[in-house]
Amino acid sequence: MFLLSILRVIKFSLQDLARNVWLSVITIIIIVLALLSVNLLLIVKVLGLAAIGAVKEKIDISLYLKSDGEESRILALKSRISDLASVKEVAYISQQAAVESFRAKHQDNPEILQALLELGTNPLAPILVIQPKDINNYEDLIVSLNKIEDPLIESRNFADHKTMLAKINDLTDKASRAGLALSLLFGLITALVVYNTVAVAIYTHKREIGIMKLVGASTWFIRAPYLISGIVYAGLGVAAIIIIIYPLLSFFQPYLAVFFYGFKINILEYYNNNFLTIFGLEFLVVTLINFLASLVAVGRYSKV
Amino acid sequence: MIKLENVTKIYPPDVKALYKVNLHIKPGEFVSIVGQSGTGKTTLVKILIGEEKPSQGKIVVGGWDITNIGPAEIPVLRRQIGVVFQDFKLLHRKTLFENVCFALQVCGEPQSKINNIVPQVLKIVGLENKMHRYPLEVSGGEQQRAVIARALVHRPKILLADEPTGNLDSINADEIIEILQKINKFGTTVLLVTHNRDVVNKLRKRVITIENGLIVGDQAVGKYIL
Ligand SMILES: Nc1ncnc2c1ncn2[C@@H]1O[C@H](COP(=O)(O)OP(=O)(O)O)[C@@H](O)[C@H]1O
Ligand SMILES: [Mg+2]
Repeated sequence: MFLLSILRVIKFSLQDLARNVWLSVITIIIIVLALLSVNLLLIVKVLGLAAIGAVKEKIDISLYLKSDGEESRILALKSRISDLASVKEVAYISQQAAVESFRAKHQDNPEILQALLELGTNPLAPILVIQPKDINNYEDLIVSLNKIEDPLIESRNFADHKTMLAKINDLTDKASRAGLALSLLFGLITALVVYNTVAVAIYTHKREIGIMKLVGASTWFIRAPYLISGIVYAGLGVAAIIIIIYPLLSFFQPYLAVFFYGFKINILEYYNNNFLTIFGLEFLVVTLINFLASLVAVGRYSKV
Repeated sequence: MIKLENVTKIYPPDVKALYKVNLHIKPGEFVSIVGQSGTGKTTLVKILIGEEKPSQGKIVVGGWDITNIGPAEIPVLRRQIGVVFQDFKLLHRKTLFENVCFALQVCGEPQSKINNIVPQVLKIVGLENKMHRYPLEVSGGEQQRAVIARALVHRPKILLADEPTGNLDSINADEIIEILQKINKFGTTVLLVTHNRDVVNKLRKRVITIENGLIVGDQAVGKYIL
């Protein structure tokens, strides 16, 4: 009997959606807009984090050494730098290794290889590649590296990665804040629209509700269809956003891949891997918003 | 079956719709309540179905003290009391049959019970040949008969009819009163609120007269005295 009631309630609820088709469509469009802004926020976050992670990976400092440096002295220098507190790792690339990796890199370019051959000597310097422990101590590290006076050191290449990181951070922060504000705004609008839609639905069913009360329908049976419509709107909204977001992601992924060339960023894969978490959570949150909005509307407009 | 003790109803700010009404109706009675417009007859009906709360006094229906009935119990009360109002309160998009079914559906009754009861009550009111028509395709009397059928689906012990003939011509009105009498013969207590002098005089049953919220007459075999 309980199951039967549920089925009837769902039937009434769907009839109700159909009867106010345009209102339902508008409600769902608003939900879709809200979800779209939430998903854009998520995409910005994911891209920003990935970019920062990738830049951090790539930050290293190269010390170019003199070509005639003795191996033992180079190793001594290497261990001295390794002992610095802010250094994570030091890699030594010998002249030989440097030239081999140069050849490997340009193996498809016979002209460069030919030029290298014609030079006769190895033009490449041995390098110490230093990875900082913590990107925030990057400046300290440079200061301490500058203090090391060693005749072996030919030149120092301290690119300014920190400014770049700050820029990425700043950009993702701003985008996130704008996205968050937009999402909250749409969340609020969703609540208002659902509230209004349910209020209108109750209004158009005034007669039915009056009769239901008169013949002894229970309060929950009268109210449940409107609460369920809130959930149905949430479900339809999430279904719509899934249908919308995937083509969008597939469309932009190649451009992202080009833009973030060299970084491993695949937003499509991210969505595939986190499908249930992302859309499940979005469904739950929208359902909650709709349920509360419907509850308030039902409480206000269908007094016993 | 129905007992009112000193029931007073004051609508804010100070409209005295009912004043110290005492009333006792026994099971199986057929009682007419008469009185001019605005004297509190509908208020009495609304108090009996829990739609309005009395300002003072005590109300007992079928041994159940409903004076301070809560929202959760109101549906239970309404399944024991059938109500018919002057305006027919049918859903125009549903056939008469569907309108009657609706009352059982929304109370969570199983389809088998619905299939069993609905034709029975439609037969009682004589609509078995027109039950698949829509409300606007039948006469006012037939609409009101469908409403009575709907009021019977829970097999109520009490039937309240608030001016059921108010919108009908005398032939249709007589038919409605006949049906109410028939229902009363099956054992249901009937409370008929009416304006109609002829109806009351023909009935030759108990008549209660209300004037300005007060009971001014109660006759076992009454006449419309106003
Ligand atoms: N909801 C209400 N709020 C305020 N006054 C009301 C309300 N309902 C009825 N009344 C007043 O109470 C009195 C009795 O009304 P009612 O019971 O409908 O009388 P009747 O059914 O005999 O015509 C009238 O004066 C009416 O105006
Ligand atoms: Mg009245």
